[in-house]
Amino acid sequence: MISEKGLWSRIRLRLLFTGPTLFAFATVMIVPFLYGIYLTFTNWDGISTTSTMVGFENYAYVWKDAVFWKSFYLTLKYVFISVALVNVAAFLLAYFLSSGMKGQSFFRAGFFIPNLVGGIVLGFVWQFIFSNVLVSIGQKAGISIFGTSWLADPDKAFFALIIVTVWQYAGYMMVIYVAGLMNVPKDIMEAASIDGATAFRKLRTMILPLMVPSFIVCVFLSLQRTFMVYDLNLTLTKGGPFKSTEMVSMHVYEKAFLSRDYGVGQAEALVLFLLVAGITLLQVYFSKKLEVEA
Amino acid sequence: MKSWKSLQALLVSLVMVMVVTACGGNAGSKPADSSTAEGSANSGSASGDVKITLLNSKGEIQTQLEDAAKAFKEDYPNITLEIIPVPAGQSPFEKASALYAANSPSTITMLDTGDVEKFKDRILDLSEEKWMSDKVDGSTDLTTFDGKNYAFPLSIEGYGFIYNKAVVDKAVGGSFDPATITTTQALGDLFKKIEASGTGALIVSPMDWSLAAHFLPLAYAGQSADKAAVNQFITDLQAGSVDLASNKVFNGLMDTFDLMKEHNIDKASPLAGTYEKGPEVLGKGEVGIWFQGNWAWPQISSFDTASGAYGFLPVPISNNTDDFGNTQISAAVSKRLVLDKEKSTTEQQAAAKTFLEWMVYKEKGQDFLINKANIVPAFKNITLEPKDPLAKSIQAYIAGGKIEESMSALPADHWSKVGASMQKYLAGAADRATLAKEIQEYWTTVK
Repeated sequence: MISEKGLWSRIRLRLLFTGPTLFAFATVMIVPFLYGIYLTFTNWDGISTTSTMVGFENYAYVWKDAVFWKSFYLTLKYVFISVALVNVAAFLLAYFLSSGMKGQSFFRAGFFIPNLVGGIVLGFVWQFIFSNVLVSIGQKAGISIFGTSWLADPDKAFFALIIVTVWQYAGYMMVIYVAGLMNVPKDIMEAASIDGATAFRKLRTMILPLMVPSFIVCVFLSLQRTFMVYDLNLTLTKGGPFKSTEMVSMHVYEKAFLSRDYGVGQAEALVLFLLVAGITLLQVYFSKKLEVEA
Repeated sequence: MKSWKSLQALLVSLVMVMVVTACGGNAGSKPADSSTAEGSANSGSASGDVKITLLNSKGEIQTQLEDAAKAFKEDYPNITLEIIPVPAGQSPFEKASALYAANSPSTITMLDTGDVEKFKDRILDLSEEKWMSDKVDGSTDLTTFDGKNYAFPLSIEGYGFIYNKAVVDKAVGGSFDPATITTTQALGDLFKKIEASGTGALIVSPMDWSLAAHFLPLAYAGQSADKAAVNQFITDLQAGSVDLASNKVFNGLMDTFDLMKEHNIDKASPLAGTYEKGPEVLGKGEVGIWFQGNWAWPQISSFDTASGAYGFLPVPISNNTDDFGNTQISAAVSKRLVLDKEKSTTEQQAAAKTFLEWMVYKEKGQDFLINKANIVPAFKNITLEPKDPLAKSIQAYIAGGKIEESMSALPADHWSKVGASMQKYLAGAADRATLAKEIQEYWTTVK
């Protein structure tokens, strides 16, 4: 029916359906993105009525900004460790919670709940746990590792961030893995049982290869979320102690809003965007090659 | 096909309606009258009701301001004042610039001193206001650009060592005289005496803003009693020609800081503390001294066990009583009110000016400032006595001329960047030479 009409009426019909979302997408994503790129070439401070074009000066500054690259490296470290731990924990949870144990739906719900709590609230809750609850337990029971607040020590604060991240995302990824596990064809598993395959053999040569699509999705999601971490970083450690846990998003934010250097802040945000986009695309591209058909 | 046409017509008319109403909204608010609102209650009603907004960045007086808006409405029934709070954790600058970016600035905005200059193209010149002749000397110097003053000085805030009189009285065995603490030596002796009496000497709150916006700037402001010399010192810091490691005032202040570190009750984990812990242990008498400012009074009073007897001690920077800073406490106008001129109508601007005058000259306004909001005002004509002991202590120092003007126009990221270096030093992760180097490096990056 559509092909019978002229070009204009086809466009009109498509606009009717995609127009509203296109409009929303353009106004909240495309326009700010382009405007942001424009800002990277200015020295605007966020409020003044005038600003001058400075060319590529801001990008040169980003290149020289040692703190930016330091926090980017720290973020990489954080992303690497958290993505690994989140996915291992989530897969193990999913595996055991779909083995038919008693009360497994209850446990699934329980592990999923942290994900329903927003990052801000979660950060405050854990801040209380790390600096009050654990410290008082540690002092009363004489456990020296909990004797002082984890958040006051640069290395421990970093691991506190990772622990909370794993706790927050493992449940969410678990749900995706549970769905993946359910999609593993029963007939193959049955045939394997008849052939006498052990549980480990089944896991290694059948379940894992068949679940590659779930892994791709989960690794992608956890990569993207941990790269962009800000709320947890802000409420749990505030980048402290002495800026030792300041992730790159926080650094960019502070550059723009605290140091009032919108141009540099935007340039750093754009560089970060390109790096993260590059890393996640590579991840999806390479892991797609691992997919198999049952 | 037909229904498609009618749908189009509907969409087009919808768009038209939106455009037309948007225009109507603008047209309705065009400026009309340019005269300042009259002081008396009902004469301004000819222009109808005026609604103005105030962006409040002093979270602790939010309810007091809302009450003040009601009291103001009683005196001026045709002006409605609405108070918008800056959300916790957001800086006033950030919120105010976001409002400007959204084209809906508040009529009155409460800013920190250092931020006023950034807004100067968008705010009203207040040089001709009546209260200019009653302000405390020098209180608008930092908001005067090209001879025009752009901001209303709202509150004077001061900081130093707050002492709990009950605790220090017990420690010295008699009535404690704050005037005896004028050297680092004397302060150290006091710490030891307090500890000997069985309580903690002091708590050092490890917040970056407290360390780098209040404590460390004493090293800048204490360079000289002459403001011009202090400004020169800052210029030299930016130029990189200051050697802090050999600076007498900086080293003196850091000696005091070392003393504080040594007697800190949180010594085992110096960075674990929070702001909330400070007023609690001071009020309950678990420590005798806390480095903080008069804004902490509402929190201290909720734990008070010393029947309201608290006061300020200077932060000594040497063992010579006569050195500048050893008998002075740091104070300055901290919050300023500015009036928007871009989006506000002339009536709104006039109403906002009326509100400023109301606070300074009207009984209810003064009552709000002093009694309700516990503010130390920057106006000479206000004779009401503050009720809170910390404000009283500051006023006593002001009256005695014992004030070292706080550095209230430091670069916006100073507290955060230098705060991290100070925390490192507090935690023992850096020595004094590293700290001095990091501070110097920070200043050379300031644009």
